Amino acid sequence: MAKRVLVVDDAIFMRNMIKDIFASGGFEVVGEAANGLEAVEKFKELKPDLTTMDIVMPFKSGIEATREIIKADSSAVVIMCSALGQESLVMEAIEAGASDFIVKPFRAEDVLAVVKKVLGEA
Amino acid sequence: MTMDMSRYLGLFISEATEHLEALGRDLVELEREATASTVDSMFRHAHSVKGMASSMGFEPIAMLAHRVEDLVDAVRGDRKLLDRDLVDLLLNAADTLTAQVRAVAASREPEQAEPLLEQLSVRVRALTGHAPGVTRVAQVTVLKPADASAGAASGSGDGTSRAVGDGAAGDSAGGGSGASVSGPGGAAGATASGASGGAAADATGSGASGAGASGSASGTSGSAGGTATGSAASGGSSGTPGSVTSSGASGTSGTDSGANREAPGASGAAGASALAVLPPASLMPPRDLSSPEALYGAPTGQSLVRVPPEVDPSSPVSALAAGLKAAATVGVDGRGSGPRWSVRLRISPSCQVPGVRAFLVHKRLSTLGTLVDLRPPLEELKAGRIPDGYIQVDLETAVGEAGIQTALRNVAEVEVVSVSQAVPEPPIIAVAPPTSDSARASADAGSRTVRVRTELLDYFLDTVGELMLATARLREVGKELPENTRPALEEGVYRLHTLVKDLHDKVMSARMTPLSLITDRLPRAARDLARRKEREVELVITGAEIELDRAILDELADPLLHLLRNCIDHGLESPEERLAARKSVRGRVLVTVRRARDRVIIDIEDDGRGMDPARLKASALKRGLITEEAAARMADRDAFLLSCLPGVSTAKELTDISGRGVGMDAVKRVVESVGGTLEIDSERGRGTVFTLRLPLTVAVVHLLLVQVGEEVFGLPIAKVVGATEADPELLSRSRETALLPHGNGLLPVHPLEVLLGVPATPRPGFRPFVVMEGDAGTGKVALAVDRLLGQEEVVLKPLSRPLDLLPGLSGVTILGNGRPVFILDVPRLLTA
Amino acid sequence: MRHVIFRVEKERYGLPLSAVREVVVPPERYTRVPRAPSAITGVMNLRGRVVTVVELRQLLHLPEGPTPLCRVVLLDRGRRDLGLLVTDVDGIEAVERVSAAPGKVMPAVRGVARLGGLGVTVLDPEGLDAAVVALFTPSK
Repeated sequence: MAKRVLVVDDAIFMRNMIKDIFASGGFEVVGEAANGLEAVEKFKELKPDLTTMDIVMPFKSGIEATREIIKADSSAVVIMCSALGQESLVMEAIEAGASDFIVKPFRAEDVLAVVKKVLGEA
Repeated sequence: MTMDMSRYLGLFISEATEHLEALGRDLVELEREATASTVDSMFRHAHSVKGMASSMGFEPIAMLAHRVEDLVDAVRGDRKLLDRDLVDLLLNAADTLTAQVRAVAASREPEQAEPLLEQLSVRVRALTGHAPGVTRVAQVTVLKPADASAGAASGSGDGTSRAVGDGAAGDSAGGGSGASVSGPGGAAGATASGASGGAAADATGSGASGAGASGSASGTSGSAGGTATGSAASGGSSGTPGSVTSSGASGTSGTDSGANREAPGASGAAGASALAVLPPASLMPPRDLSSPEALYGAPTGQSLVRVPPEVDPSSPVSALAAGLKAAATVGVDGRGSGPRWSVRLRISPSCQVPGVRAFLVHKRLSTLGTLVDLRPPLEELKAGRIPDGYIQVDLETAVGEAGIQTALRNVAEVEVVSVSQAVPEPPIIAVAPPTSDSARASADAGSRTVRVRTELLDYFLDTVGELMLATARLREVGKELPENTRPALEEGVYRLHTLVKDLHDKVMSARMTPLSLITDRLPRAARDLARRKEREVELVITGAEIELDRAILDELADPLLHLLRNCIDHGLESPEERLAARKSVRGRVLVTVRRARDRVIIDIEDDGRGMDPARLKASALKRGLITEEAAARMADRDAFLLSCLPGVSTAKELTDISGRGVGMDAVKRVVESVGGTLEIDSERGRGTVFTLRLPLTVAVVHLLLVQVGEEVFGLPIAKVVGATEADPELLSRSRETALLPHGNGLLPVHPLEVLLGVPATPRPGFRPFVVMEGDAGTGKVALAVDRLLGQEEVVLKPLSRPLDLLPGLSGVTILGNGRPVFILDVPRLLTA
Repeated sequence: MRHVIFRVEKERYGLPLSAVREVVVPPERYTRVPRAPSAITGVMNLRGRVVTVVELRQLLHLPEGPTPLCRVVLLDRGRRDLGLLVTDVDGIEAVERVSAAPGKVMPAVRGVARLGGLGVTVLDPEGLDAAVVALFTPSK
């Protein structure tokens, strides 16, 4: 069974790219969300194996969304999508329960390596 | 894997344009009213454009957007800083960004906006006190190349292709590798190696991080050590007794001495062939075979069969186990969090943000217990100041090495260099010379182990079993061949047999799993039980690293939990009682695992009230499970085992804790079904010890094979007292039951065909009887059978559903001739 | 869904292909299981595994018939080594639209379907399991 992924980013561009990366790695992207609010709803609805979470988003930040997702399901696997310069935000997200992070600009192999590792497939 | 970024170009243009338009609107809005949400929104737009541009490899756009982001971020805290000049500057930047995106849309390279970048940098520096951050850009180019100046482009699909980038950005020349160049609609990318120097600032080699991630994947759990190989081997060969001349036969046939002479036919035959070893009963003179030696051969042979279970406390194995591994003490009420472990890690050099990586590691480890020491200290770690990427963490945790490895296994870009137990006081025995083997084995285990599914291991074992059977058949077939063709085949079969045996040994050793797999859940169970009973319990587990066959381990999980429950629930007194008995309020339960030759011994010991043999006897007597006479004769050790009979328990009331799920009878049955034994020792006021003696590998049991009618059954030799012959017609009777003279008394006779419900074909005249050890309750019994077939050493298979629902069967095995044979649990046959 | 179609006498039965591991010829003799219900024919050695063989006829309470039972349908239920003794195996067919079986509801029977104009009783692997276990558990 392919692992089910929820992709959260406010930019369609990023979502598409991330979706393609996951597709190339044999994952199934089951949903996407464009902001933190939607992310939490989609998470509860879809119960994905993995969620990629942008940090800077309208309505609700990725950190807040992560906190709520972890509250709803402490075993949820949330991977933060970060950029250089967001170190302290990523650490905040880790405190909130994020499992790991990837750094933009993404390279497909790096993203898949981190994700597979987190899911125990590496 | 290089992504073809050109497919995202259209999306980039449209979405970046939207964000820039929104940024422009926000800036205008800002002049009217500088709300926090407007500033946040601006930040997001700039951030998004930066992220997209960097992914597309458009460095000029990414850098400019990054500076805008930095500047907006700098004024977020204090919006009054947003003066008219600053807004102008930002509007200018937004316009420039828009122009750059348009350039891209027109398949032109965006121009670097140097002066603007500099102006923004000055403002950022002025506001924050430090230089703006480095912009990282993916090393890809997606525009239709227009000029082959870099000269490194290899041919591509359409004629207009050219290499781009070529370091024009003027930043430090990064050795970009493998930049993919392709036209938007055209053929897939031509590869222009070394072309995009523009990627500049952060030009870590592209191969590095990929390698880092995959390279560190091997560190895994536990240790499937090779320690037990030697003894596994001896058990292994018995898989095909009988036809393959193997250890089962040789153990008994070997020596000719003493008692052997009394029954020459018996022992001699056992050596030659497993089935039909005994001469027909009619040829045997009536005699008393009540001593086992008489039936199975010389005392020396016997000692090979029955392994003396006593451990030599000074044996190097147990001393080593006790010495090397400091007791894994778990304060059940949260006091003390276990032994101290030293963990050394390395953050992969290719990691872009080592500080965050290190923080993640710190977070993972701190959930396991108490962090005692961290080097470099946390603040240094978070800032990414980690010399050579090495981190040293000391923590107190009860999860053990496996737990630590598990916690870190899923973290990318981290390599666990070493995990070692930091023993507070160095144990004296630790310098003992024979440590090297096991120490090396466990040190190596981390780097070499892989996880294999249990089903796969089972499959290997089954398949090897089949191979052994097939080999045995080949050998049989060989015997039919003409004399001159035989040697070649026999040589081949011999070689095959050796290889299969070797493979079997390897499979058996691969199945070895540390006991910690099941003891790891005991501390939590102890805590919960103690809390419910409002008792204080300290649980100490030692030797959990000792390994057992996976199949045995799986069976033991529930019995161990039940014994722990028993100790906490019935064994330990209430705090008041303990105080009155001058014991410490806190009860202690020790789970000690040790190796003794080819056995693993588990003691579960409490320091509670102990068991009362008199009360156990009385209870069994009341239920009619034993006779008054038997009760009077019964030794205390046997009386304790009465607690394993269904319905007998000294517990005043059954609580919801112990009175549920498996009982002591089930514990005993499971332990015996895997080829082990259960002993109980207890002293009033001092406590109780349950001792489980278990085989290392899938149970190899020694059976006496008997025939009833057409069927063959196995009786565990450990329970056989002896065998004799008599004419059933001449036996005295008490009501329905025939009585067999045995020693000074009479034993009740149970025809096996009646017990089992199978048709029998008893011959007239003498009939063989097997005298069996009964339960603590039932005492000895005599089983009437049709024939004694001799003994075999077999690999016991547990019964799969639905056969496990039948009382009286303890397992099944397949004989050398391919026939499945059930192994009988006589006491259960008699009671159920 | 593809089903393995087999017969007890003339009556046709189907099990989902995914629930069947293989079909084998019964051994010349079984090892009897002491104290087992009469529906249990015995156990056989299948390449080193001990397989419990159940007579489907008795499991489904069908009347005794004249034809010998000459195939064992091995269920693929994890490590549960269970085989059904049947008259013969016809093959693998796609079975669609299973409707409720008339008469008494049995857990082992999922329903009935039409196949080439003839009826097929579709069995439920879980239900079969349960029915076998029920044989061993004394009824109250």
